[in-house]
Amino acid sequence: MQFPGQGKPPTGIVFDTEMGRSIDEALALAMLYGFDGKNEARVVAVSISNPDLKAAAFCDAVGRFYAGATSPEVRQFFHGLPIGLSTDPKVPSANTPMIEAALSKASYEQAIQTLNDTADPTPLIRNALTAQYDQNAILICGGPATNIAKVLDLPGAKEVIEKKVRFLCFVTTKWNVKTDLPAARKVFAEWPTPIVAVGQEIGEALPFPGASIEKDFDWSPSHPIVAAYRAYKSMPYDAPSWDLAAALYAVHANDGYFKVSDPGAMTILDDGATKFTARTDGKHQYLILDPSQKERIIETYTKMVSAKPVPRQPRFPIKKAADAEKAAEAKPPDASPPAPPK
Amino acid sequence: MIVTRKALARRTFLRGIGTTIALPFLDSMVPAMALAGTAKKAPVRMAFVYLPNGMDMTGWHANYEGKLHDLPRTLKPLDPFKEDITVLGNLTHNAGRALLDGAGDHGRCCGSYLTGIQPRKSLVDIKAGISFDQIVANQIGNQTRFASLEVGLEDARQAGDCDSGYSCAYTNNLAWRSETQPLPPVLDPRALFERLFGNGVVLSPEARARQGRYRRSILDFVTSDTRKLETSLGPTDRRKLDEYLSSIREVERQLEKAEKDNSQIDPHMEKPYGVPADFAEHFKLMTDMMTIAFQADLTRIMTFLVTREGTSRSYREIGIPDGHHPLTHHRNLPDLIEKVAQINNYHMKQFAGWVEKLKSIKEGDGTLLDNSMIVYGAGLADGNKHLHEDLPTLIAGRGGNYIKSGRRVVYRKETPMCNLFLTMMDRMGVHTEHFGDSTGRLEGLDLT
Repeated sequence: MQFPGQGKPPTGIVFDTEMGRSIDEALALAMLYGFDGKNEARVVAVSISNPDLKAAAFCDAVGRFYAGATSPEVRQFFHGLPIGLSTDPKVPSANTPMIEAALSKASYEQAIQTLNDTADPTPLIRNALTAQYDQNAILICGGPATNIAKVLDLPGAKEVIEKKVRFLCFVTTKWNVKTDLPAARKVFAEWPTPIVAVGQEIGEALPFPGASIEKDFDWSPSHPIVAAYRAYKSMPYDAPSWDLAAALYAVHANDGYFKVSDPGAMTILDDGATKFTARTDGKHQYLILDPSQKERIIETYTKMVSAKPVPRQPRFPIKKAADAEKAAEAKPPDASPPAPPK
Repeated sequence: MIVTRKALARRTFLRGIGTTIALPFLDSMVPAMALAGTAKKAPVRMAFVYLPNGMDMTGWHANYEGKLHDLPRTLKPLDPFKEDITVLGNLTHNAGRALLDGAGDHGRCCGSYLTGIQPRKSLVDIKAGISFDQIVANQIGNQTRFASLEVGLEDARQAGDCDSGYSCAYTNNLAWRSETQPLPPVLDPRALFERLFGNGVVLSPEARARQGRYRRSILDFVTSDTRKLETSLGPTDRRKLDEYLSSIREVERQLEKAEKDNSQIDPHMEKPYGVPADFAEHFKLMTDMMTIAFQADLTRIMTFLVTREGTSRSYREIGIPDGHHPLTHHRNLPDLIEKVAQINNYHMKQFAGWVEKLKSIKEGDGTLLDNSMIVYGAGLADGNKHLHEDLPTLIAGRGGNYIKSGRRVVYRKETPMCNLFLTMMDRMGVHTEHFGDSTGRLEGLDLT
């Protein structure tokens, strides 16, 4: 719950992706929770476009892993972010060994057992946006645009998006676009705020270093991301970072990690490729890698993916507040008049 | 074939001085040809029974889906009627959430419950939305004497701050005629009685007391009409009519008792004249009249705000002197949670009494309950955490042989409560594509 008196919170991130087809999706989720722990962003909704219950359970387990460090007062009220799960068969299953491995090693609670333990992604995303300050939300579409396109069809949703969402960061790999071509076209045609496309070449040029898995996670014997990474491919390997790049740009768009193209219009071709035409009134841009930033980007990846969960503080420190009240009661009232203003 | 039998008009009344009694649905009202197989269906009715301060959800949730068998603690009183109820899971009211408006979950959850709109946080400049029961009332209300009836049990003001800057208009009303005009519930049983059977004039307590000295049953004023009607009825209809008029007489007796008790307790009390001191009696009296209103087709739409949202009413009658609202913020203390569970159970017992009554009334091939959709629920789930998802919701009745009851149906998380409303609107014959934050109809509720 956000209270106006608390000031504008960090950007709310809605992360809609596939989960399980490639490891960068899991890495990106971890990185977003890393940013969340450092108060640089807030993860306000997570949804996936592949209809795999275990993939949703994995997302839930990652969320609980990061929330596990919170204080008992906060845990009392923590009931986890609902995970949106598409049931649309357009996106094929991606129940890969990485999901199984992470879930089987998890020592944390798994709350998703049936489809009804997940959320319908369409109202989930819409509802999460309604709770954000104007222009303080960013949506990341890291997989096929199946869920995002459906949100656009909800009555009144475009108005909510226009009001709340600064931009959509869309990972436009050929797989993502081609898997649900109509959805991708609809999003590029109807999305009411700017779209920044993250192309295939970006993720491939910025590999997440597998060495980080070996050395940066010693603090946790049961980290779900480590289990997933090890199970995804034979170690050692470096992983392309499409969703990571999208997540980093979404949270730190103005911090010089990437360059962006001039505005234009993105066209979706039948084979899933994208074609960009520069236009001054265009709402689309694409991400450009600045080679001078490569090292910095990868360093940020590893630092944030491996960031330790940060204990949340209760909004109202229950015990301390009660103590302060008692202290105030015990203190005799100050009879002296307040000092006159200078 | 020559059909000589003439059907009794559905809108037949027994009239007397200052009295108009509508009749229940009788076989004689069905045209003779219709009896051969095209019988006119009884109308579908809907009502909302709203409970404040959320629920102890551990006592509400069954740990299974599908056919109801072992009911959890709060639902236990409905055990004899479990074939007649449908328990719904995971329905959500996003409009009840803070959405940047800060504290005030009680004000929001009640103000948004039937409107599907987040109410404006204001004490004076109130704004919510037309509630969906009133959308239905606007469409079909002309078919009955009252487009809708709004009933409650707790005396409550309509202005002032009832929750963190939310006007009492939000916590103390369920139905909204327009986005700025709530419809306050009738709290006084005598007022409701006179509304149902009188000529629209509600007497002052003094005038009523004066009249009471000479009071006879309203049935006495319609004796002549009753006798005439009885001669034209068959034995089944005569029995139905007798039962119906007896139920009105029973309500009168309850009213008289309440008025007598009140005058003995404290003649200066501010409580409305006919309000029984006992909660259960008050509940029964109001629901008895609501039953008659449905039975006689005086209305097909009712809202029942059991007590106002955020109420701190105590329940001394079951040994709980603590306020309801403070108890729900139980700090996980077992004895406080137990008291909340007892209050939830006590409410449900009263509701089960109403369900029993509705089920006892035959109507066509089924019962009055079969032709109704009585939603029992709250605008908060866990009252301690102020959650607006997985709201405790059940439907008693089958909505005219539509709802496949006797089940627990769990939907996916974030499924809008407004989807249920859209589905109910369909059953009431009012079709629209969108209401509040609906994303579609509620699937899996019907018999198919």
